[in-house]
Amino acid sequence: MCQTCGCGATAGTKVETITVLENLLAENDRLAGHVRRHFDDHGVFAINVMSSPGAGKTSLLEATIQALSKDLRIGVIEGDLETENDADRIRRHGVPAAQITTGVACHLDARMVHDALETMPLAELDLLFIENVGNLVCPADFDIGTHANVVLLSVTEGDDKPEKYPVIFRAADLVLLTKTDLLPYLEEFDPARAEASMVKVRGQGAPLRLSGKTGAGLDAWTGWLKAQVAENRGLHPKDGKPHEHEHEHEHEHGHGHAHTHAPGA
Amino acid sequence: MHEFSVMDSLMKLLVEHADASGITRVTRVRLVVGRLRGLDLRQLRGCFEILVEDTLAKDAVLDIESVPPAGHCRTCGADFAIPDYTLHCPHCGGGEVDITKGRELHMASFDGIRETAADA
Repeated sequence: MCQTCGCGATAGTKVETITVLENLLAENDRLAGHVRRHFDDHGVFAINVMSSPGAGKTSLLEATIQALSKDLRIGVIEGDLETENDADRIRRHGVPAAQITTGVACHLDARMVHDALETMPLAELDLLFIENVGNLVCPADFDIGTHANVVLLSVTEGDDKPEKYPVIFRAADLVLLTKTDLLPYLEEFDPARAEASMVKVRGQGAPLRLSGKTGAGLDAWTGWLKAQVAENRGLHPKDGKPHEHEHEHEHEHGHGHAHTHAPGA
Repeated sequence: MHEFSVMDSLMKLLVEHADASGITRVTRVRLVVGRLRGLDLRQLRGCFEILVEDTLAKDAVLDIESVPPAGHCRTCGADFAIPDYTLHCPHCGGGEVDITKGRELHMASFDGIRETAADA
């Protein structure tokens, strides 16, 4: 061992420096671009839905499916460590659902989503929700090929959460304040404080307030979804003729850049 | 929380680049990690130690450059450090801030030796 710095070089050998400058998530990003091309070939708008465990992601998706099933054909990919429970809940509403069980992984990655697409009838869908593993840390770092990030903050959490988990709130194209039907019982949660906390990490723009249970505020959310799908359809028509799938062709969208931003954002 | 998968990617990259350049023993690896990545440096080191066992990097030293966050104000053009992730320009108070540093996550370079059969 080298006596100068403790490295593995021995005297008399010539140490060379090799420049790499390669992102450690490059492989995931490449696959995410590939997944995005699957969506674009079929004119499907895909959303990465993220939040803490228990913020109401699945309930929101159930309410959204009920509200939108006449207008849009929806599919859902569910991510959890274990169980098929959430996919079963979604299937009861008559829409295709695939369950990814990650085992120990705390986030979905592009490979898992790509594999789950096998059972998803993309040609028959307009909108695909991918419900990430409940976690406010890791999912923010992994592009899974979606077009937009939606992050939920429920009123049963702390109203300073955006400041505590700034990376994920910063990455969101839209933030939803959920379970607002419970606000009368939770005097410790101040929506104005939550919004101020969001402004601090995201800049201007208020979250949409809604309740999946009562349906209050759902119209603004479904309106946003319809506008996103329509805009995406303009860029990637659903003509039933997918383009030749070129694996070497990388799509240009970066992580977390939807085509438009939230109302007022 | 996903330090292991990050270091697993690093090892794959390292082996790939070492093979391509004929390096048979890696002595030092330089990793650049932005603080906004939320990765724990001690855990990164722990994962590295486990992953290099029985590889061409088994005695390699891991250097980690931790990059503090910085921003650029779209309104007044100022560049500034972001100590607590408060995205307001300290010069003009504007809220239109782009993050310019702190999201890095790449292997900058590595050092290594080309050993001949006689050295080994």
